[in-house]
Amino acid sequence: MIRLQHVSMVFGAGPSQVAALTDISFHVAKGEFVVLTGPSGAGKTTLLRLLYRAESPSEGDIDVAGFDVSALRRSEIPRLRRSIGIVFQDAKLLAGRTVFENVAFVLRVLGTPRREITPKAFAALKAVGLSARAQAFPHQLSQGEAQRASLARAIVKSPGLLLADEPTGNLDEEMAGEILGLVKDIWSRGTTVVFATHQARLVPHLRRRTLRLEGGRLVKDEG
Amino acid sequence: MLSFIVNEAMRDLRRAGRIGLAAILLIALSLTALGGFWLLSLNLGRAIDQWGDRVRVIVYLKDEPPAAKLEDLMQRIEAVGGVQRLRYVSKTDALRELKRSLGSQADVADQLPRNPLPASVEVTPDAAVATPEGTRALVGRLSTLPEVEEVQGGSQWVEGLAQFRLLFQGVGLVIGAVLAVAAILTVTTATTLVLHLRRDEMEIMRLVGATEHVIRAPRLVQGMAQGLVAAIVALATLEVAYALAVPRLEPLLPVTIGLERVTFLSPVQALALIATGALLGALGGLLARGRAAA
Repeated sequence: MIRLQHVSMVFGAGPSQVAALTDISFHVAKGEFVVLTGPSGAGKTTLLRLLYRAESPSEGDIDVAGFDVSALRRSEIPRLRRSIGIVFQDAKLLAGRTVFENVAFVLRVLGTPRREITPKAFAALKAVGLSARAQAFPHQLSQGEAQRASLARAIVKSPGLLLADEPTGNLDEEMAGEILGLVKDIWSRGTTVVFATHQARLVPHLRRRTLRLEGGRLVKDEG
Repeated sequence: MLSFIVNEAMRDLRRAGRIGLAAILLIALSLTALGGFWLLSLNLGRAIDQWGDRVRVIVYLKDEPPAAKLEDLMQRIEAVGGVQRLRYVSKTDALRELKRSLGSQADVADQLPRNPLPASVEVTPDAAVATPEGTRALVGRLSTLPEVEEVQGGSQWVEGLAQFRLLFQGVGLVIGAVLAVAAILTVTTATTLVLHLRRDEMEIMRLVGATEHVIRAPRLVQGMAQGLVAAIVALATLEVAYALAVPRLEPLLPVTIGLERVTFLSPVQALALIATGALLGALGGLLARGRAAA
């Protein structure tokens, strides 16, 4: 599902140049659950941004879901992103729309037939246990609920790959556990998951393959 | 997908608020100016065409030709080319016409010791020749005939009217263009403001894999909707102005520019004005810049 070969990422030029990632290589098989860990500033977010082509690598090759991401033309990026669900630390819900509308928005943007939108959106909300809050607006949600809505939005288009960038970063332990449980449920239904977190206490609970980044280098790949 | 784009465009239009309204008013203003100049220019053009039909060239003769030679002279005049119709006006006919035009003062002509008016031939040029250049050439050809003293007439004043129409159209186009640019910039500003307000949505759209066409289409539709509303407002304004002005103007037109009645824009021309509005709005929408992250 994911293959990186000697990927480096440098920001800036000349003396202000900063190496965000250096010579990263790894492979993630289809259906695998990988935890991406490391301290803040280790390069986790940059690595995820490379996977959904928000950034282009300075060096190296990246393959994601059958797309040669490093050579992808701008016009082809939407096709790559349709196969990826993304969750962020902040839920990024649209303030003027209800939870249901936030989830349905994805399907409407992608041209899903109208008759399929409501059942698919409700199925995604049910999967994250948020059906009862479908008509609530983002400001009426707790942080945990907002993150669950964000997860529903990420999975509503049935992506083959879920990228989670610190989705539990703003949550207390109980809520973080809930989100982790939901992500595992999604993975158990066949979705490949890359779960980035700096919260070391979560890693043992996950008991999955762990990639550890430090200072932009991959220092550990175990599990 | 179409309903999504239209819904988003309408949502954006509501968000644009007063700036969106200002954009509609500016487009309406520019289209009213353009349409007004167009309307006046069309009617002026009709007047010019009618006057073109009435162009006459008068061939003054040195001497009144004897009846036996008149037929030959008329044939030679016709033979110069570009002549549609001829009418011989004898010295007596000319004096009669003078008296008629003098009306109650006609007895002044009776005081003359002899008839000073020359015989003449009134030439109506062919439609193809009834242009400033055509009539100038016809006058030149007629002047070469030995019996001819002087040739007068032509279409200089029609030419002047045509030049006035051109100037009028030019002024209209410049004013319309300036207002159109202002309208496009206002639509652009309104749309940019909306893009700023919806940058989160655009970011989400890009992240989930929406194409740039889908992301940009609502801007285009929003601009077009503003342009369409503005064009309808402009057409309604022109209709009202036309309905108010025509009853006051029409009695004056036959005695000034010789036009019996004023006409409004045809359905095709009205549609063209509406299409121009939609185009101006769409341009404004397309020119709006704004990119979210990712």
